[in-house]
Amino acid sequence: MDTHKPILKVDGIRVSYGKKEILQGVDFEVAPGETLCLLGANGSGKSTAMNAISGFVGCTHGKIELDGEEIQNLPAHKTFRLGMVQVSQARDLFPQLTVEDNLKLGAQVRSKSTMLEELERVYDYFPRLRERRLQRVMTLSGGEQQMVAIGRAVMARPRVLLLDEPSGGLSPQFVNEIGTIISALKEDGATMMMIEQNLGLAFKVADRFIILRDGVVVDGGTVADYADDHEQVVKSIYL
Amino acid sequence: MLMQLTVSGLSQGAIYALIALSLTVVFRATTVVNFGHGDFVLGGAFGVYVLVVMLGLPFLPSAIAAIALMFACGILISRGFIDPIKAGPHIGFAMMSISLGYIFRGTTRSIWGREVLPMPRVFDIPPIFVGDLVITGDAMIISGTVAILLAGFFVVFYKTSIGKVIQAVYQSERGATLIGINVKRFHDMMWGAGLAMGAVAGILIAPISLLHPDLGAGFLIRGFAAMTLGGFGSLGGAVAGGLILGVTEQYAGAYINTALIDITSYLVILVVLVVRPSGLFGKRAVVRV
Ligand SMILES: Nc1ncnc2c1ncn2[C@@H]1O[C@H](COP(=O)(O)OP(=O)(O)OP(=O)(O)O)[C@@H](O)[C@H]1O
Ligand SMILES: [Mg+2]
Repeated sequence: MDTHKPILKVDGIRVSYGKKEILQGVDFEVAPGETLCLLGANGSGKSTAMNAISGFVGCTHGKIELDGEEIQNLPAHKTFRLGMVQVSQARDLFPQLTVEDNLKLGAQVRSKSTMLEELERVYDYFPRLRERRLQRVMTLSGGEQQMVAIGRAVMARPRVLLLDEPSGGLSPQFVNEIGTIISALKEDGATMMMIEQNLGLAFKVADRFIILRDGVVVDGGTVADYADDHEQVVKSIYL
Repeated sequence: MLMQLTVSGLSQGAIYALIALSLTVVFRATTVVNFGHGDFVLGGAFGVYVLVVMLGLPFLPSAIAAIALMFACGILISRGFIDPIKAGPHIGFAMMSISLGYIFRGTTRSIWGREVLPMPRVFDIPPIFVGDLVITGDAMIISGTVAILLAGFFVVFYKTSIGKVIQAVYQSERGATLIGINVKRFHDMMWGAGLAMGAVAGILIAPISLLHPDLGAGFLIRGFAAMTLGGFGSLGGAVAGGLILGVTEQYAGAYINTALIDITSYLVILVVLVVRPSGLFGKRAVVRV
């Protein structure tokens, strides 16, 4: 296999809500095993870009490829079946079902035969969830719910894992825990694209970042090059 | 007397329970209140009538064919008439379901006129006597069939992985899409299942009642009353509501006035909505202030 070939390739996508064009030609790539972080101010179109990749919104122009296969404008349940698995900003869990049922449902379509192995694997990443496996999700804290959301996605054996603000609304302790888990997933070879406002977390786990502003990618680089210079990145995002 | 009324009320109520449950299945899955449902219940009854009386087929295969036909009809409605209008105002669903029901009713009327169609009896089971209580063969067949069907339904819903998926889609459609469920196809299936379950009710009463095209309205209001009583959206509540409604009708008819039977449903809806709007098992709406 050619390791330089991107597993996810986004090529000139444009997305509009009504007359308003939110993405005006966005390009980027993610290599196998890489973690790319998408940065940008509120409302800059980060979630929109991710939803275009997962198929929740359609593109008017451009191409999206998953391992060479064109997936732009496929409905979301189909991109999922191909391995594009998203943890959405709103988490979208099943509140009345237990932690374990939520997790198992993640494997229902893509990895049913290995469901119990996946479940053990997820509980190893999230010991906190193992303790609460029979608790209804609606009774969990926000941080625990975020863990269920990530765990449910991991259950599906994603080829590309899309994370929309995994630290959103969480306390510093949970941000740390989530960061550790994302790092562990990365160690185990996961390919990820994440949206993150928390630069501390973003720079701890990502290999590379790009910045979205006014519907286009305005900047980017490898995390290593900016390790001590977050200020420069912050300027690019907001100024 | 009281026991006798209770027995016939429960057997009648079993039919209402099935109608209310089938309405609820569609409602929970799609948020559509199917105002045409009474006519589709009748569709099941007319289906067996045509197959048994006009084509001379045996009852059981006819019943299965009628159920399959109504299932297909549900999918057709979902794909052809409900999905295309989902971007419009929500009341469009109500208008659409009323219109579909009336078109269905009008079609049966234009074929059969308004005449009453008797069907030969099919369940020929002798009644059982318990003391001076008589349990008719019809009551046994109806309650037995409905009981088996309901037991199957609740086992599938709460105990199987398919049931878990259905519960999941009920709770979050976006969440369901995020685990690879085709929600549009799910809606089709729920419409199919709803109409098929309603058809079973129609089929069960076909051999014991006089069929005519306007019978559907009565089914619909009884389904609504059972849903209201049980709490909108509650599956168990729909069943309990149906049974209680059946018994209430019998008591009201015997002890107060037979004319009450036909308006019991309306009275139940009025009283429940005023006294306890969430019904017996519904979730109480939280009013944020
Ligand atoms: N369904 C929609 N219909 C119309 N406009 C929308 C819709 N969803 C998003 N928008 C608009 O598109 C723009 C980009 O939204 P998006 O959610 O992609 O931003 P974001 O970068 O993820 O922001 P945040 O950091 O706040 O999550 C915003 O101006 C938003 O109001
Ligand atoms: Mg967002």
